[in-house]
Amino acid sequence: MNKVIVGIPRGIFYYYDGVFWNSFFYSLNVRTIISPKTNKEIINLGLLSSPDEMCLSMKIYLGHIKYLEDKVDYILIPRIDRFDDYNQTCTNFLAIYQYVLHFSSIKILNYNIDNHHTLKDGAFKIGKELGFSRCEIIEAYKYALKRHQEYLRKKIFEQEQIISNNHKKVLIVSHAYNIHDEYLGGNILKILKDNQIDVLYSNYFDEQKANVKALELSPNLYWKYSRDAIGSISFVPNIDGIIFFSTFPCGLDSLVNELVIRKIHKPYLNIIIDDSTSITGLETRIESFVDLLEN
Amino acid sequence: MGNYGFIVHYFLSNVLKDEIIDPPKITSKTLELGSKYSPDFVCTPFKYTLGTLIESLECGSDILIQMGGGCRYGYYHELQSQILKDLGYKFKLINLINGGNHIKLKKLIKDYNLHIRYYRLPKYYLIAKTMVKYLDSIESYVRKNRCYEKEKGSFNNLEEKMINEFKSCHSYFKLRKIYQKYLKKFKSLQLIKPKQEIKVGIIGELYTIMEPYANYNLEQKLNDKGISLIRFTNVSYLLYEKKRKVKKFLKNLKLKYRMGADALDNIYHTKYLCENDYDGIIHIKSSFCTPEILIMPIIEDIASKYEVPILFFSMDMNTSETGFETRLEAFCDMLEMRKK
Amino acid sequence: MKDCYLGIDIGSISTKAVILDEENKVLSSCYIETSGSPVDAVKKALKIVRVPNDYVLKGIGTTGSARKLIGLMVGANVVKNEITAHAIGTLTYYPDARTILEIGGQDSKIILINNGVITDYAMNTLCAAGTGAFLSSQAKRIGVDINDFGKMALNSNNPVKIAARCTVFAESDLVHKSQLGYKKEDIIAGLCRSVVLNYLNNLCKGKRLEKPIIFQGGVSKNQGVRKYFNEILKADVIVDDNSHLMGAIGVAVLAHRQATNKIYNLDIENIKFETKGYECNGCSNNCEVVRIYKDNHLIDSFGNKCQN
Repeated sequence: MNKVIVGIPRGIFYYYDGVFWNSFFYSLNVRTIISPKTNKEIINLGLLSSPDEMCLSMKIYLGHIKYLEDKVDYILIPRIDRFDDYNQTCTNFLAIYQYVLHFSSIKILNYNIDNHHTLKDGAFKIGKELGFSRCEIIEAYKYALKRHQEYLRKKIFEQEQIISNNHKKVLIVSHAYNIHDEYLGGNILKILKDNQIDVLYSNYFDEQKANVKALELSPNLYWKYSRDAIGSISFVPNIDGIIFFSTFPCGLDSLVNELVIRKIHKPYLNIIIDDSTSITGLETRIESFVDLLEN
Repeated sequence: MGNYGFIVHYFLSNVLKDEIIDPPKITSKTLELGSKYSPDFVCTPFKYTLGTLIESLECGSDILIQMGGGCRYGYYHELQSQILKDLGYKFKLINLINGGNHIKLKKLIKDYNLHIRYYRLPKYYLIAKTMVKYLDSIESYVRKNRCYEKEKGSFNNLEEKMINEFKSCHSYFKLRKIYQKYLKKFKSLQLIKPKQEIKVGIIGELYTIMEPYANYNLEQKLNDKGISLIRFTNVSYLLYEKKRKVKKFLKNLKLKYRMGADALDNIYHTKYLCENDYDGIIHIKSSFCTPEILIMPIIEDIASKYEVPILFFSMDMNTSETGFETRLEAFCDMLEMRKK
Repeated sequence: MKDCYLGIDIGSISTKAVILDEENKVLSSCYIETSGSPVDAVKKALKIVRVPNDYVLKGIGTTGSARKLIGLMVGANVVKNEITAHAIGTLTYYPDARTILEIGGQDSKIILINNGVITDYAMNTLCAAGTGAFLSSQAKRIGVDINDFGKMALNSNNPVKIAARCTVFAESDLVHKSQLGYKKEDIIAGLCRSVVLNYLNNLCKGKRLEKPIIFQGGVSKNQGVRKYFNEILKADVIVDDNSHLMGAIGVAVLAHRQATNKIYNLDIENIKFETKGYECNGCSNNCEVVRIYKDNHLIDSFGNKCQN
């Protein structure tokens, strides 16, 4: 059997299609290592290998890659340009693969998503590179896609349950890779939980519906992931408060969140963190926001 | 942006019947106004353009025109119009490039009640397009040779004269004649070339590179120090050449994919400058320009392999001109010392 | 009569002046605070440094952020930026130097040298974190004299980790740490360490620091910072006795190189210098023009972006 080990960095892309790739490799019987949850060591590795002005999330991603570098044979690094012209992504998403390629000698498993290539093409490309037959790949792809969709459905279902109960609720509008990274978002979630507030995540909504809703807020927005995020706002009209959560200095959020904040008339909190944000300050801000919601 | 303003004005004033108001020149006040109403960490061009828009509205305009696309530029106008609306202005904002297909354009014209003289459109489109081409070619000649001018200011005066003649020209052939006339004049200006010529290439993010106010007049300053310049980014490049060249860049750099905005172009140009015996490279961008941030280490790496010094500037409203000059001077000193 | 040369380095925080003889030996020097007024600071400094009796002054050089203004004021024959000045000064005493680390009041720089030629340099661009001004404001906050700061840091075995990427963050982090009850020495040592880390992170990324490494600028007098540079770089970092004066020395050396036969004097004490800034409304450029008056006569102006 194939003995290579594939590393999957637990950052950025992992939060979008981590389940897919994990199941894909599982089905092909390829050993994978997923880097551990973000910790101080990984952040430091990331800070060392990235330019200063880059956003914290990308620095963390690079940290994960660095961590895996000497432990695996291949690292999975995608390039996601756009799904179509109205579904573009952050410019970092399309350049990061080449950045790593330039500075690291590790072998990279890469797939590309743009106007002409889809995730399916990516799966075939990678499967082929690892020496699998077409049949095996199709099988694995189908399995992985199923698992991926099941996972999403489950999350969306869970979230619907929360929406229909009558607890206090807060919607967190954020990129998936920020809020679900415990190192970044964990503190916020914990404080909210301690105050018995239910949390909704902007990325666990029906994508297509969210996309339509987003147009009401911003008709010209052409970034897919931002659109998904703000679309969630219109889904829950009776939400008590909204927390915008981003890392410093995210180019997309700087514009989109500012626009949305100007358009919604609800209690909100805008949190922007970087690698040296102090926990105390964060606590104070969230607690006072919680107080505001309770009155 | 740079000297292009007059061409846009020229085109619109000949095609539209409506009154056209030029935006006031960018000053420190523009940036102040812009930053006051901008979110914290958008890139600087956002602040400049927002400032300009406010100033134009103050001058009484009610339709604003903006161009942009590629990275964050394409989204500027939506947030900017919201900010301006919140400030209580009444206006219409048109973004020319983003989603600028013809059906949409026609709808726009109808919606905004513009009075267009359609019969003039093709002619003036051609003239304006050519004007951009001529202006860019003259400006790159100026950039390269202004540093050797015998009589100080001769290049700048001549350029100003040429622009004035451009403005009052209404035929394509006449335009070509003017261009050829001035090209000759430029070439006959007296130059004093030193023994050691220092050549520097300027790369970076397009707005900061092209708007002299945003880069503290970088080109003039370097020319004054006797340094000859080359710059790739200009409007003709962005509109016409860029698309053609992408494949060549990819092949040359052995890369597979395009990168955001001008990132790929800048990597290629770095390599080009290194291989063609340029003495130094200056990379200039506005703060938080995401595509450029990512490629800076790559550029630095390439330049250090060829042992070509490179200077990075990241401009925003807090960049002090003194600090900027200090680093620029030190860079020039260094290039001179290396030459010896 | 022997020749001597004056170098003045006017930084944002401190003003340095030295007088060198022909062999580049320091005859007289001073180090005072600029206190926001470079003109007054230079007047004060020139009262302290004196041309010795059997010497004549053959050249003046100015550097630092107010170099243009002061250059005009004293009629300097050389006005140079501080990066070149520092490099020249250091090379005068350490001809084989390869790396110069410099941390001053409001900025910090690194200069790399190969065969006596600057090959690369960087200056901090983002903010004032990790500079002298930052250290002294933090010293004040903790209530420690800045001169004891370095010594106290040496007493700590367990420096506190402080986020020093940006002054604002550093300050809030510092407050937080002191509220948790850390020892003063540990906090001070943590600050010194964070200055070093911040410096290396900001300026030295992707650069190879070849030995010998020379450390200068006002902060080089701080033993704590020195200790952590040694520790982290795993090298013996050289600090000259005149490390805080190196910019002034460098520009004095340049004044020497470019000296003519002109003899200078330093009678500027009673001359009135005034700077007036105004916004020119002559055209749409609205340049902010700075005009300098010497005894009410306009001697120069800069800031004009127009052609005429």
